[in-house]
Order: sequence, then structure tokens, then C-alpha cells
Amino acid sequence: MSRARRPAEETDVFDAIPPQLLLTLLVLSPGCVFLGMALLWLSGVKLSENTIARLANATYVFCGALVMGLAGSLWWADLASVSAGSGNWYEVHEFQIPLALFVDRLSLPMLGLTAGMTGLIAVFSRRYLHREAGFLRFFLLLHLFAFGCFLVFAAGSVDLLIGGWEIICVTSTLLVAFFQQRPEPVKSALRVFATYRGCDIGIVTGAFFLHHWAGSTLYQSVFKGDWPRQSLAGETLAAGDATIIGLLLLLGAMGKSAQVPFSGWLPRAMEGPTPSSAIFYGAISVHAGAYLLLRLQPVLVASPVASGAVVLIGALSAVHGTMVARVASDVKTSLAYSSVSQLGLIFVEIGLGFSWLPLIHIVGHAVVRTLQFLKAPSALHEFHHLHAAAGGHLPPTGAHYGRLLPPRAQLWLYRLALDRGHHDAIIDRFLTGAPRKFAQWMNRIERQLRLTPKIPKESSHG
Amino acid sequence: MQAQHENSAQLASPSEEARSLRLKHALEHAAHLLPTQGPIGVFIHHNTLHAFQHLPFEKAIGEASSIFGTEPYMAEEAYRQCLARGRILEADIWDVINREENEVILPGRLDRRTLRGILLLRGQASFDAATVDWVLEETGILESGGHALYAICLKLAGQDRTAAPSHPGRPVGLPRLGEVDLDEVIHPLLIRLAAVFLDQGVAYWPMPNRHKGFLGAVRDAMAQRGALFPEYLEGLDAAFREQLERGSSAEEVVIEVLAQLGVPEEEWESALAGELLALPGWAGTFHQLEINPGLFPYIHLPCSLLEFLAVRLTLKSAAALGVARRLGMGAEEIRQARNVRELAAPHPAQGRADALALWDALGRLGVAEPDLADWNPTLQRRLVHEIQEFNPLERRRLLHLAYERRHEEDVLQAVAWHRREHPPVRQSVRPFADVFFCIDEREESIRRHLEEVAPEVRTHGTAGFFGVAMHYTGMDDAHGAALCPVVVKPQHAVHERPVSHHSNIHALRVRRRRTWARLLHHTSLFSRALVRGWLSTAALWPVSLFPLVTRVLAPRHYGLWTKALHRVWIPRPSTELAFERSESESITPESGLFRGFTLEEATDRVAGTLGNAGLREGFARLVAVLGHGSTSLNNPHESAHDCGACGGGRGGPNGRAFAAMANSPEVRGQLLTRGITIPADTWFVGGYHDTSNADITLFDLERVPLSHVPDLAKLREFFDAARAFDAEERARRFEAASPHGGPRKALLHVQDRAERLSEPRPEYGHCTNAVCIVGRRELTRGLFLDRRAFLVSYDAALDPEDNALARLLGAVVPVCGGISLEYYFSFVDNERYGCGTKLPHNITGLIGVMNGPASDLRTGLPWQMVEVHEPVRILFVVETTPARVMKVMSANPELAEFLENRWIRLATVDPGTGDVHVRRGDGWEMLSPTLEALPSVKISADWFRGKIDHLPIAHVAGPTSRRGNGRV
Repeated sequence: MSRARRPAEETDVFDAIPPQLLLTLLVLSPGCVFLGMALLWLSGVKLSENTIARLANATYVFCGALVMGLAGSLWWADLASVSAGSGNWYEVHEFQIPLALFVDRLSLPMLGLTAGMTGLIAVFSRRYLHREAGFLRFFLLLHLFAFGCFLVFAAGSVDLLIGGWEIICVTSTLLVAFFQQRPEPVKSALRVFATYRGCDIGIVTGAFFLHHWAGSTLYQSVFKGDWPRQSLAGETLAAGDATIIGLLLLLGAMGKSAQVPFSGWLPRAMEGPTPSSAIFYGAISVHAGAYLLLRLQPVLVASPVASGAVVLIGALSAVHGTMVARVASDVKTSLAYSSVSQLGLIFVEIGLGFSWLPLIHIVGHAVVRTLQFLKAPSALHEFHHLHAAAGGHLPPTGAHYGRLLPPRAQLWLYRLALDRGHHDAIIDRFLTGAPRKFAQWMNRIERQLRLTPKIPKESSHG
Repeated sequence: MQAQHENSAQLASPSEEARSLRLKHALEHAAHLLPTQGPIGVFIHHNTLHAFQHLPFEKAIGEASSIFGTEPYMAEEAYRQCLARGRILEADIWDVINREENEVILPGRLDRRTLRGILLLRGQASFDAATVDWVLEETGILESGGHALYAICLKLAGQDRTAAPSHPGRPVGLPRLGEVDLDEVIHPLLIRLAAVFLDQGVAYWPMPNRHKGFLGAVRDAMAQRGALFPEYLEGLDAAFREQLERGSSAEEVVIEVLAQLGVPEEEWESALAGELLALPGWAGTFHQLEINPGLFPYIHLPCSLLEFLAVRLTLKSAAALGVARRLGMGAEEIRQARNVRELAAPHPAQGRADALALWDALGRLGVAEPDLADWNPTLQRRLVHEIQEFNPLERRRLLHLAYERRHEEDVLQAVAWHRREHPPVRQSVRPFADVFFCIDEREESIRRHLEEVAPEVRTHGTAGFFGVAMHYTGMDDAHGAALCPVVVKPQHAVHERPVSHHSNIHALRVRRRRTWARLLHHTSLFSRALVRGWLSTAALWPVSLFPLVTRVLAPRHYGLWTKALHRVWIPRPSTELAFERSESESITPESGLFRGFTLEEATDRVAGTLGNAGLREGFARLVAVLGHGSTSLNNPHESAHDCGACGGGRGGPNGRAFAAMANSPEVRGQLLTRGITIPADTWFVGGYHDTSNADITLFDLERVPLSHVPDLAKLREFFDAARAFDAEERARRFEAASPHGGPRKALLHVQDRAERLSEPRPEYGHCTNAVCIVGRRELTRGLFLDRRAFLVSYDAALDPEDNALARLLGAVVPVCGGISLEYYFSFVDNERYGCGTKLPHNITGLIGVMNGPASDLRTGLPWQMVEVHEPVRILFVVETTPARVMKVMSANPELAEFLENRWIRLATVDPGTGDVHVRRGDGWEMLSPTLEALPSVKISADWFRGKIDHLPIAHVAGPTSRRGNGRV
């Protein structure tokens, strides 16, 4: 697997600190901080808010510096990528899951974005969550999330990426259910989790087929050339194989990036505290799906069908998102669906074969949306000033629907947008309805056979 | 037959009419239970349980808690901690118990008071049925010879299970059918519909046909064909279509569904209340907007609670049918479902839990097993009955009374001591300046600091609209707003206008502001649109990067920069208030308001405020009149920090208008005839104090006579010093501020908080309010009251007829009482009376906040606003005699209700002798002074620096004592 790596000796200026070390340190540091804090907490040490906050600041300043160091060393040595490997995670005969980190012009901006945004959110949350019972829990999850993101963006293979992917899934779920004493957040979190996991079927089987047909999931084995001019290496994948893998990966990406018809979880994820909504659903987590497709773009390029599907899903999501955002009357839902529509556009850009454009779009969207999420509780204040500055006459919005559409069509479209395209009902009734009914049926059978032990009522609360 | 048909077509038949009337009544009664909060942009504090105010406090909160399922007091554990740390003393407990009815339980050995006292002080334990078996088996609680006693307890405890409390229970609608919670089925849709209907400007595409009212708009949208519903709501579109075809009114819909759900007419009220209380916030908002459409901030809509109910019940009926279909139930079974009230069966271990609690209580009372076994069954039963009657609710009630008593004792003893040691003396020296503040308890500290910095300054407290009730339109405002207490309907419009030679600057300002608004409006819409959103996120994103980073990392600087930019680009003309009106002008027809005030009216305002405050002569050369308000970011509850006397607005314009009136020579001439002499060399300056960022702005400085300019400069220096000390005192409560940073750093800290997006506590607002002192400033000057006391200036000697007192109390009691009670309830049950933690709040429709994407509209105060509050009913201390205050109170039914039902506490300080009387029950008791000396410090900071908790009252002697004598 070291065949693409250039010898370290060439990078003489960075001899003392090889970029491989920087990369490994970068990925590990939030993970270590998470582990350390978790162990201290488990052993009964009470960390003060100040300590937790300082530790977080230090971590992300350090991570930021590492990203800059990485960028510097890549630039200095005129390298397109750096990879660091350390043996195999898992090995059975021919089949291996190597622990390989990899950074190039695509992953570096994503790493920088993650370090920067997580740092900002850590500073923000220090005040926002002051005196909150779950203060430590929030920061623990934030570090774990950063670790997961670094793993996704710095993974050298799809397998390792899936590891980070699942960590994001878990932290996201736990932060949606941050206020676990109320039932709604927990229910919403369950929905988020179920959507994520359902779509994960795509990415896991996609990785399986990649192993099967291409013999490896290492980017450096499957692809040749440097991003953004990468293509499939040799004859690794037939067009039909690429289509299947591309479609499966698309399924995985759709869940994470809340694309049609799986966007219903995104507004529900707003149950958590505002900064976690900002970092997950404004900045980083929702873009992971787009990153996955961008990363594996050569597979899409090899299959017009898969590319077409990405464009289609993206376009549908873009229109769906903007329609729903336009009728949403609460600030966070409106922002959530605006994100869906921009993510849709990013998907379209990726499907059309652009590389730099979607990357810039991801970064820009993350910046704009994070600020909007963080400012969401100011909506009243801002509208009041805006209204006054406009002299009490803000131009009416949405009037062109009245002009362009006949009243019936208007109502019909409004109804459709209000119910978010009925996607939730479609999923609940047609996608998950059958398995649920099957489970209920099994449950009834079981009860009739009296196989369930009678559980005393009080212990069910415990 | 034919005739009957015609009859029903044209006129409702008598029975229908009766039904309709009955429904109206039922709805009115049910609506009574809903929260009375309007849209959040104008937050008005009020008693959360206003609907229960006709009942005595303790009864009312008991009833309310059984109807709403809320907590009436703090948790018993919280009171116990207060006992442990000396916040409640043993004496308080006995004092409270000795005011309760007594009864002999065991002749010669035990009476009720002793029993309750012992159990309260020794901490009776409660046991939970779910865990009692574990406690019995695992903790070895009975090991030390308790088994015998426990065995008897097991027998005795079950004999006398007290009957269910006489309180009305929770009203029920139709919450569930079979295993399915119907509310869970309908709420997501209902909340979304209510939110889009009431939306005031968040959605780009507003709901169509809103002019038809809620039911009409919802019907039009929901009756569309081709929609896919969640499983249980299938058929909802058909139901709405059917209503459309028949043209049913909201009332008909409600009556039909009630019949379908099997609710008999006599249960309508309870059923409607149950349905409405399932989402009290939304229902309450519909109700408030119906009875007071003026509350709509931007877009007026036809709003009706009945229509909300009709939509709700249509959804519910569809859900009930859907569930019934799934479960194979018929129409009759749906009707029956409501009657099957599953009474919660007692827990199998409940008997053991009761027995163990009894065992524990007996142990604490020192009753041993042989004794108990000896007594005859009557005695045994009486003892057990008494112990079980003393249930957790009752214990919390007594503990709460003791908690309030300690507070009352501390305050009154301190006031009495201060009155004794520093009796008020008429000042013969003319003060350097008179400064009027609002009575607000947040102004207590800055008044104190101002007096410490400049002992030659005199401060006064009057309600912060300064008697000038007006409908005010500022230069930058789109529409006017009422600046006066909510109970007052303003009749006079006042405009701020640019002075004539600045009209060109004003025109430029308006133009630039319009441009700015257009730009901002577009960018905010842009980012949510599709193609334009692409532009703003993919291309223009670096524009957002700077604010994102600086607003998080250096918010105060960001605020300074943007304000500086604003000043440069949007110039500000000099302005004046258009407040004068000639006698001949009458009400402007379009607004229904007078334009400004006539000379007579202006004189009334000035005389009223000065007269009430007891200031008729001896004015200083400078008089500052400071209104107040609060600015903060990312705070949907921003308005809750503004001035309550200005109806949740900012009182700067009121101070400015008052000063302008008082400077008018004509007004002064008129004032002479009313016994108020303002010297010719006295100048009034209006101003505004921001209680969040600590700014003090003074208005109309260019009009100040040259002779007063140096004095004014000096006064501003005093203000600057005082607001820094004040900031330090505020900052002591904030853990993020350095406890030893000193006043300068504290000032920067509070300014930073006001600009910080991440700050859920820009200030603590009215939190910790506990006392309202009505009297001369000399009564409190030199007392450190810890920002917990409203201070109302009043001089009983100048008010022989008690007219001023009647006016003052008539305004102050409802306002301060409302604030105190809102804080009380939001604190004791923050999730249900308050709106919970701010962190997941999500602004919806610019009218309120939800938790996350779809919840009830949250009313009340957030945890971050109340977390350091001490829930006590406000204690009014009035400097007059009991007879005089009672005369005033009983003449005003609202005040009488507050007092007689004990929603407030009341004490008096005799203006002549300084004796303190406390209102207890229906009588007055004289306070016997027990306090030897109050801790004394030189300046306030010596007392509070480095401390974060509530502080006892202290005496602040001042840096250089001018009163020399009489000091301890």
C-alpha cells in the first residue's frame, strides 16, 4: 500500500516532523481527549467547566495548527497527497482492512473546516451551555464527533471512512437526544438513528462490493492520479459494477446529507442545543455525504447511470428543500430545509463531474449556514430592526405564487410543501410499514405462545 | 314536519341555541385555564395563575397543581437543604406551626403542633412504592430492632388511607384509544398548521387564505386531494372536504365531534379544557390574539379559539376513526372509550411504602413498639391518621411558609434597625442633583452606587413611565407602541422628529436605512432560496466568514465596529419630541389618539409623578429622569428584561418627554398653583439606562443651558463611576466574570455579554426580586438590598388624604406582584409553568418559542432567567400606618384580592415612630426589634466582592460618612 507514497527523505525541510506524523496526530488528538475525559469522568473525577473549555480550546488550536502544518508540508514538498499506514485493522486470508490515513487536496480543506468549526463551536458552547447539567456530556460528544469527522476525511480507504461515519452517526443521535428527560428529543433521535442506519446499508454493501470487485477499498489502489484528476486505476471496475457501487454509495450519502426522500430527519434533529445543530446540520455532518461522493467520484464518472442518479436526487432535493423551507414558519426548520436544497445543488455539481466547485460550495455553505444557525435565536430582534429600517413595509414575499399559479394548484402545492412532500408518510407506510407489521405480528405470536416472561411493571421503568 | 325543517334552516331551534350557549360557556371556562401570554416580542410579566387569584394562595396553587399536573412549591429536598444551611431556622418552623390549628392527639403527651414540628425538624422520610422492597431487603433499615414496630405499622398503615384530595382532577379530553396516544398522532400536524397560520414573517410563502380564519385556511389546504397521510390520519382530507361541502361552522364541527367522541353535554367543559390543555401554549396564544388582536406584532389575522378547537377536534375525530379502523372498533366503542377511565391501581408495594413511612415517623417521634401496642385502637388510629395527614404536600407548605418567614424577618429587622439608627432627617442642604430611576429592583444597585460615589446626589424611584402614558413613535420606528403599564390605554401620541435644520440628514438617514433593509432582507431570503442561495453560499461565503469568527471570538469588538460603521454610514440628526398640543385640537380620527399633551395635561403628568414621590420643593439644579430597558442578542426573551411600567417597552422616551415637560416654563407656572415649586435654575434632563450593557444615554443635551453644562459633565462622571460599580455588582453573579476584576473589567464584561450570541443570560432580569419598599429614600439609603427590592418613593407626611398612596399601590402592587409571582411559578416548576431551558428553543412565526421543531408554544420564563431566584411572594413594606394602608387596599378590589388571598405579603413602617407592623392572617402584629446591629461596610463592594450567592442586608456607611452621629 505504500506504492504511491513518495519517500520521506525527499521532504528534507520537514524531516523533523514528517507529515505522516502530523496526520496521525491530527486524527488521534480529539479521540485521545475524548478517551481521557471519559476515563476521568468514569473514575469519578469532576472536571470544572473551565478545565473542559480550556482543554477543548487547546485541542482545536492544536488541530488547526496541525492542519496548517500539513498544508505547509504538502505545499513545501510539492506533494499532492500524504498517506500514513500502520498495518491492518483486520485480516483474513486475502481480505484486509488496512489502517491507512490519507490526505490530499480534497480532504485537507475538509479537515481544516472541521478543526476550525469545531473550535468555534467549542468556544460558543462554553457560554451557551454554562451551568447545563450535560455540559461535560456535550463536550465529550463534540470531541468524539471531531474524531469521527477527522477519520472520515482522513481515511485512506472506504472501510476506515465507515468507522468515522458510524461515530458521527452515534454522536449525532446522542446530541439530538441531549435533553433526554423529555420524550420528544429521544423519539426524534431514534428517527435520526434509524434513517442513518437504514442508509448505512448502502455504504456498507457498497464497500463490500468494492472489496469484491476491485480487490481493495484503498483509494490509492482503486484510483490513480491526484485529486481532482483521479480516475479508476486500470480495469478494476466494469461499468455495471461501478453503477451498483455508485448507487449504493449514493444511498449512504443520501441519508447523511438528508436528501430526498430521507430529509425528514433533519428538522427533527433540531431538538438538540443550538450549537450542536450548527456544527452537525449546518457545518460538517450533513456535508459528509457530499464528501463521500466527491471522494469516490471516479466510480461515479465510470457509470453514467450512477452519475445521473446523483444529479436526479440532488435536483429533486434542491427543489424539495427550497419549497419546504419557503413554507416553514419556524427558524430552525427553515434553515434545515435550506441546507437540504443547497446540499442538493452540491450533489448535482458532483454528479455533473465538477470537483472544485462542489468543494468550494461545501466550505461556503458550511460557513454561511453555521452563522445562520448560531444567530437563529436572534430572529425576532433582527426582524424587528429590519422591519423598522424598511419603514414598516417589507416587500411581500411569496406573492408570485399567487400570480403564476391558479388558486387550486397553489393550494395543492402549498399542501405538498407543508407536509414536506409526504415523505415521512411514504417512508413510514411503505418502506418501514411491512417490517414493522411483521415485527408486530411476531410479537403477537410470541405473546400467544406466552413465551415472554411476565415483567413486573415497576422494573420496566428502571 | 315541513315547518320544523324551515325553522332549523333559518333559525336555530331552541335546543340548538341552548347547546350553542352551553358550548360558549364551556369554552369560556376552559379558556380561563390557558396561559395568558401574548406574542413574545412584547413580554408582559403577570401572575401565571391569574385565573386562580380569587382563591387564597395556598388553596389556589394546590388546585392549579392538580389541574395542570404542576408542582406548587419547591421540592421538599430543597427546603431541607435550606434548613441545613440556615436559610430556614428552627424558630421559623415553630413560628409557622404555632399559627396553625392545634389538636390533642395523645392526651398529655402529643399534640398536632408538636408532632408536625418534630417531623419537620427531624426530616420525615418518604418511601417510593417502586423501591420500598429494595430498601427493606437491601439497606437493613429495620435491622436495629425495628421489625416489631414495622409489623404493627403494616397493620395500621392500610386502615386509614386518606381519601383522594378534594381538588378537581386534571380535565380529560380523549387522550387515547386502545394503546394509541391520539395526541401524539395529531400534534405534529396541528402544531405545524397553527404555526404557519399565526406566522408573522418567517415563512417566505405565507399560508394561503388566512383571511378566512384558521378553520377556513386549514380546510382549504387540507381538503386537497392526492395527499398521503400518516396511517391513523387517513381520511382527514375527506373529513375537511365534507365540512367544506356542508359549510359547517366551527361551532357545528365542535358539537358534532364531541357527540362522536361520546362526551355528554355536562362534561363539555372538562373535555374542552382537556383538549385545550394538551397544547396550552398554542391554544392560549389563539385565545389571547382573539381577545386582543392588537397583540399581533406585524400581520393581523382573524383568530379564534373556537376555530382552533374545531381544527383540533376534526383531527382528533379522524385519528380516533383511524385507530378504531385499525383496532376493529365501532363507533359505539369510540364513544365508550372516554368513559373507561382507568383509575391507576395502587402499586402492590404501596402498603409497605406507607407502613415504612409510618414506621420512620414513629421512630422520629420516639414512639416505641411496646407503647404503641399498649394504646387502644382509637388512639392508635388517631396517631396514624395525624401522621398520614401530614403528607409531603402539607410538609412543603409549612416549610415554604417558614422559608418566607425567614426572609421577611431578615428584611424587616434590617429595615427597622436602619430606621432606628438612622432616622430620616429633612435635608437642609440643596442636593447637587436629583435623579429619578424606575422602581425596578435592578435600579436599586445603581442608585446605591451613585449615592456612594456622590453623596450629594439624591435619588428617587417612580414607575418608569414617569406618569407619561403615551403612544410613542421614534424616528426610526415603523409604527408607534404604547409606553405605559399594560392596564393603561394611552390616549396621547408622541413623535420623535428631526429638528428642522436637520431634515436633510434625516432624509439621508431614511434613504440609507431603506437601502440597508433591502439588502439585508434580500440576503436573508437569498440564502434560503435555491439559485440565489447558491450564489450566497458558493460565491459570497467569505462575507459570512468575518462575522462568524469575530462574533464568536470577539463579540464586543464586533459590536463596536458595526456600531461605528453604522454611525458613519447612517448619520443621526438631532431630534425633538413633538408632544405639545393646543387646547383646540382633538383626537386624530385615524389613530384615535390625541396628538401630544395640552398644557393642562402635561402639568397633570409632571405634578402626578413629582407629587407621588413626595418632591414638591427643594429641587436640585439638575434633575435627571432615567427610563430603562435592556438590549441583548440571541435572546427571544429580550423584551422580558425591558421596563414593566412601560408595558415591556423601553422607557427612554418617557424620561425624555417628562424632562421636556418639566422644563417648560408654562408647565412650571401651572405647577406653582398645585403647590410644586420648581426653582428657575433647575434643569431636567431625560435619559435611558440600559440594564444589560450598562449604557446611560442622556437626551437633548444641546438644549441644556450653558450655566448647567459643567454640572452636567460632573453628573455624567458620577454616572460613569456608578455604572461601573453597578456592573461589578451584577457581575458577581456571573461565573464567567472574574470575581476580582474590579469595576472597569466588570463593565467590559457586561458589555460583552450583551453582544454575545452565545450568552443565554445577558442579564438576570428581575431574578431574585423579593421586596418592594414604598417610602422615603431615607428609609433605605445606606442599605445594601442586593438588587432584590423595588424602591418606590413616597412621603406619607405629604399625603394626608392617602391619594398618592392609592395611586402608587394601585400601579405597583399588580406590576410587582405579577413579576414576583411569574418568577415564583417559573422557578418552582420550570418545565410546566416556565418554558424550560433556552438551549433548544426555536423561534416560530416571530410569536414564540418551541422546543425543537414541533412542540407546544412555550410560555413563562426560561430556566436561565430564574435559576438564582428565591421563590418568595413579594413583601411590600409601606412607610405608613396599618390603618392607612388598609384603607387604601380595601378601597381597591384588585389590591384587596392580592392582599386578602395572600398573593403578596405586607408590612408597614410607621412614618413617625418607625414601628414595624406585619400583616398576618387577618390582623397586624408589631415586630419586636431583635437586631443588635447590622453588619456595616464602607462601600457596597466591600460586602459583595468575590461572593456569588444571595447576600444578607448590610449597612453601607459610605466612603466618607456625612451623617457622623448615630453610627454604631
